[in-house]
Amino acid sequence: MWQWFHRWGSPKWFYDLSGRWLPWLTGALILFLVVGVVWALLFVPQDYQQSYTTRILVVHVAVASTSLAFFPIMAVAGTITLVWKMKMADMVAKTVAPLGAWFSALTLASGSIWGSVMWGTWWEWSDSRLTSMLFQFFLLISVISLRSALNDSETAAKACAVLSIVGCVNVVIIKYSVEWWNTLHQPASALSMNSGSANGPAFWVPTLVMVIAMYLLMAVHVMMATRNEILRRESRSQWVQDLVLAAK
Amino acid sequence: MQETQLLANGFSAFAATLKRDLLVAFKRRNDLLNPLMFFFIVVSLFPIGITPEREALAEIAVGVLWVCALLASLLSLDNLYRSDFEDGSLELLILSPHSLYFMVLAKILSHWLVSGVPLVLLSPILGYMLALPEEAYPTMIITLILGTPVLSLLGSIGVALTVSLGSRGLILAMIILPMSVPVLIAGTLAVGQAVTGNPVGGHLAIMGAMLAMAVSMAPLASAAALRISIN
Repeated sequence: MWQWFHRWGSPKWFYDLSGRWLPWLTGALILFLVVGVVWALLFVPQDYQQSYTTRILVVHVAVASTSLAFFPIMAVAGTITLVWKMKMADMVAKTVAPLGAWFSALTLASGSIWGSVMWGTWWEWSDSRLTSMLFQFFLLISVISLRSALNDSETAAKACAVLSIVGCVNVVIIKYSVEWWNTLHQPASALSMNSGSANGPAFWVPTLVMVIAMYLLMAVHVMMATRNEILRRESRSQWVQDLVLAAK
Repeated sequence: MQETQLLANGFSAFAATLKRDLLVAFKRRNDLLNPLMFFFIVVSLFPIGITPEREALAEIAVGVLWVCALLASLLSLDNLYRSDFEDGSLELLILSPHSLYFMVLAKILSHWLVSGVPLVLLSPILGYMLALPEEAYPTMIITLILGTPVLSLLGSIGVALTVSLGSRGLILAMIILPMSVPVLIAGTLAVGQAVTGNPVGGHLAIMGAMLAMAVSMAPLASAAALRISIN
């Protein structure tokens, strides 16, 4: 068990393994993404209340559910960085943060597009999900800017690890406090997005396909970015130099 | 036996740090006045910028007071570790055999005593200037007493993370402001409830829970962040 865990700490091992996994993951990603997008945008049936806008929701729900995974990933990677001082964990944390900010921004954007049709407004403070997603986006940006402000990469790694753990706890508290804020202002929100999932398999199967596609997209992107980061940080080591020379 | 000894050491380190920080703060009285004056000035900009009508002001009074308190506490946070970092005493604190947790807690407490408490004391005057309804005063003061230490505690994490940076003003704000949202929500909600005559006990309990959680966890995170920043 521990040997298996320690092997993840080796950049070379990760580079080799991810090199073998990437083609498969990319293939699966393309499959799920094409099926999911085509199904979601062309074939999801019309809802009797929301008409064709449920098709936006399929994409939106997938992006949103993926964007919730980023802070936990960063907190776990941060814990590994602080406790076991594993370089790989920090490389992953570094590549995950900007992607998380993108996913949060896309969640907000796709949500607003849907909201502009269904709610008649692009932004609604009284929806707790919008507000808490906005603050998750802000916190991710603060982690990214802290990393770019600190020059020494080891200090940056540990400082971002602490901020990620604190931020992860904070995102949960923000989520609950925002919900609590709204239940008092606007009880039993009629705007709840859960109404969409009541549509049965015609809605949730394509949503599931899209969710899997988005998680695969995250995995592929994180792996590729982490490989770049490995090459950048390990550029002095022998195996990277051999690799670069062989590629020429 | 050994545990009581450790605890006693921790308390003496706590008391010594608190005494020293309060003394330093007292010697730099003018620095303490600035965040307070900032609080005063920003609050008085709102009636000018929005409307001088008392009804309209009463509606936004709570939010304005809380946001301005947040900004004022953000501005005063720089004093928390900066001068100690620059003259090297922070390194000595970290190297000392005592638990850093207690010393950080003492520093945060002294920061709250010299920046948070004056803010609380000034708030009734500003509340009056913003035409806050009378029945909201006790709740406003209690929420500020419970909430401003949480702002100091959260802020301490942000300052500890950024203390080694040259220009940290903006990044500090980016880290701390989103984190302070729950306090802001609980504080404004409680006072809003008091204005409409509803019970506020639940909101105050939530704020107390936030304070308890921040007191127990924030000094740990700050101590870890300080060790990282000092290297």
